[in-house]
Amino acid sequence: MTPKLRRRLAAVAASIAALAALVVLLFPLYAVVVASFETNSQLFGASTYSFFPSVWTLSNYSVVLSQQGGHVLSSLIIGLGTTVLTLAVSVPAAHALARYRFRVTALLVGSLLIAQILPSIVIANSMFLVYHRLGLLNSYVGLIIADASYAVPFGILVLRAFMLGLPGDVISAARVDGATEMQAFYRVVLPMSRSAIITIALFAFLNGWGDFIFALTLLNGNTFEPVTLSIYTYLGEFSQNWGEAMALAVFAVLPAAMLLIAAQRYIAAGLTVGSVKG
Amino acid sequence: MSVMTGAPKRATRQTAGPVLALGHRSRMRRLVRWAFLVPAAAYVLFAFAIPIIYNLVLSFEQTSPATVSHLTAPFAGWSNYTTTLKDPIADSAIVRTFSFTVLSLLFQFIIGFSLALLFNLRFPLRRFARSLILVPWLLPLLVTGTIFKFLFQLQGGAVNQILHDLHLIGQPIGYLLSPGWAYVTVLITNIWIGVPFFTVLLYSALQDVPAELLEAARIDGAGPWQRLTRVTLPIIRPVIEVVFVLGFVFTVKVFDVVIGLTQGGPANSTQLIATWAYNLTFQNFEFGQGAALNTVLLLIALVAAPLYIWLNRETLRGDYL
Repeated sequence: MTPKLRRRLAAVAASIAALAALVVLLFPLYAVVVASFETNSQLFGASTYSFFPSVWTLSNYSVVLSQQGGHVLSSLIIGLGTTVLTLAVSVPAAHALARYRFRVTALLVGSLLIAQILPSIVIANSMFLVYHRLGLLNSYVGLIIADASYAVPFGILVLRAFMLGLPGDVISAARVDGATEMQAFYRVVLPMSRSAIITIALFAFLNGWGDFIFALTLLNGNTFEPVTLSIYTYLGEFSQNWGEAMALAVFAVLPAAMLLIAAQRYIAAGLTVGSVKG
Repeated sequence: MSVMTGAPKRATRQTAGPVLALGHRSRMRRLVRWAFLVPAAAYVLFAFAIPIIYNLVLSFEQTSPATVSHLTAPFAGWSNYTTTLKDPIADSAIVRTFSFTVLSLLFQFIIGFSLALLFNLRFPLRRFARSLILVPWLLPLLVTGTIFKFLFQLQGGAVNQILHDLHLIGQPIGYLLSPGWAYVTVLITNIWIGVPFFTVLLYSALQDVPAELLEAARIDGAGPWQRLTRVTLPIIRPVIEVVFVLGFVFTVKVFDVVIGLTQGGPANSTQLIATWAYNLTFQNFEFGQGAALNTVLLLIALVAAPLYIWLNRETLRGDYL
């Protein structure tokens, strides 16, 4: 066997292995999409599972589109609100922690690292009572504040690390040219940090969109509910409405899929700096 | 720790300005600096500090549904802790959280590292495959739980169908109906979620291993296994440490997946600390006991804190310390 042939064979073997891994990792998604086009009798209580059904239906989607539009909208509001809040809080803080010397810098960064570790259920438990007193239960504001708890510490830490890498000369030059601290921040730091800010924004959105634990604990479902909570109630004790739940699940995974196609660079960047979910 | 900070050190640093004259302008400038921090400080106080402290207070209070409308309840001493920890369900949830975390991390590492090694080879479509592999990590966790509940159904479930078609089982298995199988199912689901994270981080570490070093080892007669254990692993060890610490932090607090798949059942056989604490508070309305168990969870999660901070020591040091 020539070395060239050996290399070819190795490449083929690696391709096959990668393909097998992808099939295993992506089969669940394939199954959801297929199931969303099937009727309940095909899905629940059927004796066999068909990998490619002979009968396809759009009825789940027509039900979901007519009944669940409000929930999709709620999830969008929560996702966007979480993004706005996360950026409003973390961008200025990251800038200050990267550019200025505070006595408390190490303490602040240390507490943000610890904030990243805190389990959400611990926060949700007592936040419920605080919100109950403040009248923030069942409100977008309250839920968005809670949902941003995933992304704010992550956002500040990642942005600060990024901003520490920006050339200080450029900012100083702007100051020498007569820009105020605020102007230097808006006109120099923000544009230069664009890619890191996009990464944080995407993760904040996905966290808000995909949150379940805070929606479950801080909402009672009477005012509004996001898609995640809606899927959960679809499959509650008294119903096994798989077809519609799966169609709704397709809507729930849509943002992640679209962002992966449109903004893969930023997603991969966010993952490599160690984003911790939920 | 390039994985964590992702930024080179700043070459020249901005000095904080002359401190001689604390005049009006200088004080103004200091105010602007602090103003940048105000939103974050307010947020951390409201969303982290207050809930954590209040949780601690609650865990020592005699709560009842009637005390919900008051912020405080009578002092209860350690009774919430003793009641909660005497309960066999809570005990087994704590033990289960440990085994679940260890097994999850073990399999996520083995699978993730194998895939990272695979993607480190040259073959067509590897970029495409590497981006698709991210998908499981990005899905809402509850949705993942729900999808796997569907796949692991007794009747007409895909998993039973595949195993049956491969002649591995005769009768379909009720994965979510028997305690042992339910635990395995939740574990498999969690491993599926975490594999992309391990793969991507370990892959980016493998990219940083100098090719000349591996080539030199090869010329010196080291086989593939020796090159892996003697060259690659020592070089990427810092990243492995980071991945395990983050994986631990992420796994001890697993909640959505369990709720989506089993809601802790059957017969509480898949309760983890987080889900049982949720049950105590939001199903039984035992806020004090829920808070006590949450404190236990908090302490377990905080075991990772010193390690996490140590791994991020360069971030902490910044340019200034």
